[in-house]
Amino acid sequence: MTKRIPLGLAAVAALGLAFLVAGQQALPKVGLPILTTSAGQSTDVTTLNIVLEDAGIAYDYCDVPTPEMVADGVGLGGRESGPGFHVESTTDLAKSPAGTPYKAVIFAIGASLKGMGASGLTLDSEEARLKKVIEFCKQKKIFVMAVHIGGESKRGPAGSDNERMIDAVAPLADYLVVTKDSNKDGRFTKLAAAKKIPLTEIEYALGLVDIVKQVFQ
Amino acid sequence: MNFKRLIPFGLTLVLAVLLAGHAPAGTGQSALAAADAVIAGEGCTSILVGRDASVDGSVMTTHTCDCGTCDWTWRHVPAADHKTGSTRTVYHISQYKTWPPAEGLKWDLYKKDLAGLEIPQVAHTYAYHHGMFGYMNEKQVSIGESTIGCQRKMQNSTPAAKLDLSMLTLLGIERAATAREAIQVMGSLAEKYGYGFHDDGEMLAVADAKEAWIFEIMPVGPLWTPESGKPGAVWAAERVPDDEVSVCPNESRIGEIDLANKDVFMASPNVVSLAVEMGYYDPKSGKPFSFKRAYSPVEGSAMSTNGRIQRLWRFFDLVAPSKKFKPETPNMDLPFSVKPDKKISVQDVMAMTRDRSYGTPFDPVQGIRGGPFKNPNYYRGTRVIDHGLAEYSTVTQSRAGFPDPIGGIVWIAFGSQDTSCYMPLYAGMTEIPKSFMVGDHWTFSRDSVRWAFDYADFHVQVAYSEAIKDVQAAQAKYETELVQRTPEIDQQALALYKKKPAKAAEFLTGFAINNATTVTNAWWKLGDDLLVKYNRLYLYNAEKRGFSRGQPATPDWWKKAARAFDILMEPDKK
Repeated sequence: MTKRIPLGLAAVAALGLAFLVAGQQALPKVGLPILTTSAGQSTDVTTLNIVLEDAGIAYDYCDVPTPEMVADGVGLGGRESGPGFHVESTTDLAKSPAGTPYKAVIFAIGASLKGMGASGLTLDSEEARLKKVIEFCKQKKIFVMAVHIGGESKRGPAGSDNERMIDAVAPLADYLVVTKDSNKDGRFTKLAAAKKIPLTEIEYALGLVDIVKQVFQ
Repeated sequence: MNFKRLIPFGLTLVLAVLLAGHAPAGTGQSALAAADAVIAGEGCTSILVGRDASVDGSVMTTHTCDCGTCDWTWRHVPAADHKTGSTRTVYHISQYKTWPPAEGLKWDLYKKDLAGLEIPQVAHTYAYHHGMFGYMNEKQVSIGESTIGCQRKMQNSTPAAKLDLSMLTLLGIERAATAREAIQVMGSLAEKYGYGFHDDGEMLAVADAKEAWIFEIMPVGPLWTPESGKPGAVWAAERVPDDEVSVCPNESRIGEIDLANKDVFMASPNVVSLAVEMGYYDPKSGKPFSFKRAYSPVEGSAMSTNGRIQRLWRFFDLVAPSKKFKPETPNMDLPFSVKPDKKISVQDVMAMTRDRSYGTPFDPVQGIRGGPFKNPNYYRGTRVIDHGLAEYSTVTQSRAGFPDPIGGIVWIAFGSQDTSCYMPLYAGMTEIPKSFMVGDHWTFSRDSVRWAFDYADFHVQVAYSEAIKDVQAAQAKYETELVQRTPEIDQQALALYKKKPAKAAEFLTGFAINNATTVTNAWWKLGDDLLVKYNRLYLYNAEKRGFSRGQPATPDWWKKAARAFDILMEPDKK
């Protein structure tokens, strides 16, 4: 028994190292331009945008894009913000002129009834919208990245607002990044294993900065 | 719509209203256009009155808890002693989250939302009353609130930020014996454990029997981690001069700060450095650092925003008309505080919380906006102090010269201030009325105090200009008379306190609960009476019980405006 503990520890350490290495190797590489959006209209998408700014990665943002808007590419067809609809573009138009197809869409998962209310959405309509957008991304081979950085408070029992948003996006993602306390129950780990989706766990939102720097080169 | 006719007949419409003498000059189309303005992120108003600015030496704060769909229930939390080494659990408390009554009450269920943090407990926590925030503790420390927002990059909704505003106020009020202590407690905890999650830029009016302070706190961005060694919040506090009054209407109020003057200012250690780091202040600019301009700038004036941000100007104009503040002055150039033209009473403050900017360029019933019965709730293009959205409003009084349990009062009016009635809860009470502890927006309940006031309010909307007079008569009976009786209640409580403090607490508890029951029952009856009196928009005289029934008078200007509108909408004849 006394010999098993160090051996066991060594095995765990080796596995951990292997995972880390594998995790680093498994980081996907995706080009620009990218679109950020919310799955559930929580403020986590603001965090995502700030992460990208900190990483020096330009992006387009729309809170409630439809497949048609995604299809319009950079600049979202010239659409402007209005009540219940927000767009923003920091994309370098010299490198990616208006209309350039997006290479990736990043979804920040987290349900907010207040946010959905402000956008005139219900849980059902948000789910339906997300389904259509992801279907379009799959058709056009646009890389789908999903992040859950809201922690345990942005989770809930099966069928709850937050879990429905996770169900709508995470199983169809090409890459998942979640904070450790978002994944306390191991749901994302199991889902990623079952769907063979690369998954990276981070401690804080800060950890996402280095990841996006590596993914979006 | 026939647009060719728009201009001449639009003029006809305006003329009709002007002829009726109900359209003040100087507003016209710009104010009408504001009807479509989107008013977002504007909620509560908080007023502060220094001790030498009040008629009785009270330090006062207010909070109009303007949400519309939030929880309105209250709780009393008793004092407690805690063993060395014990911890205090921190919860995430959303100002907006509610639960169906069948599942339970907010102030039980919020404990399911753990923030994942246990902090060292203090040896003793004070008793207090709270609703959305901690409002009054047994040491007369009181709090009011107003959301002020912050620069977008400062928001931190990540779980790294363990403290939301509601939780922070509960910690502050249970641990502090003075306003300064409360500010230090809240500020230091936020720095250490991170502030944000459900909230961003926020203002708290923090007072005790001597001082009133404006405390403003903001997150430091979503990339903050506790391991960074940097503060997880940025905050500043400025004391309202004792002979002045101030207000926060969802706008940062703290400008330049002089941290050497500890009698007037307090702040977190990063108060300037964070602004420099985030690019919100350049020390080389030659301009002094301003908290509000760096972290929460608000552009425009009452006039330039068509009344969207008119509360700041309106308040100063209300309390100090002699200074002739102009609605064109940019809000950020208006003063932090002002000496009122006359000393302010608690009833004056209650009236301010009911202010609708009548008679100003932002009058919500000017012209045809309020309909024939001058209902200020029809037109919401301008943001007035009483916006009809309040869950409840509070007016706190912290009064030196009395023992704390008697000196501290939080007056509460549930629902819209104009149709509600302020009821006192004393700092020394050991329980609160049961009807204050239950209810929500989506389930009518005769057990909930709030529904009594909403019930009356609902029946006022039918013929507002008439029915509000019935409400005001009830307010005179149940609110004004009670305010006038306060010295008598104080003396009775004081006499008991001198014999045995617990007797005073028992007396004040019984008195306030009985009063709340009386007022609540009176408002249920008021609602019944209004339903009968204005039934089907007729006037029924319940005493005479006659066959004839009148109608509330429809003014001539309204009939003219209706005719003008018909012409405006007439189809184009080919």
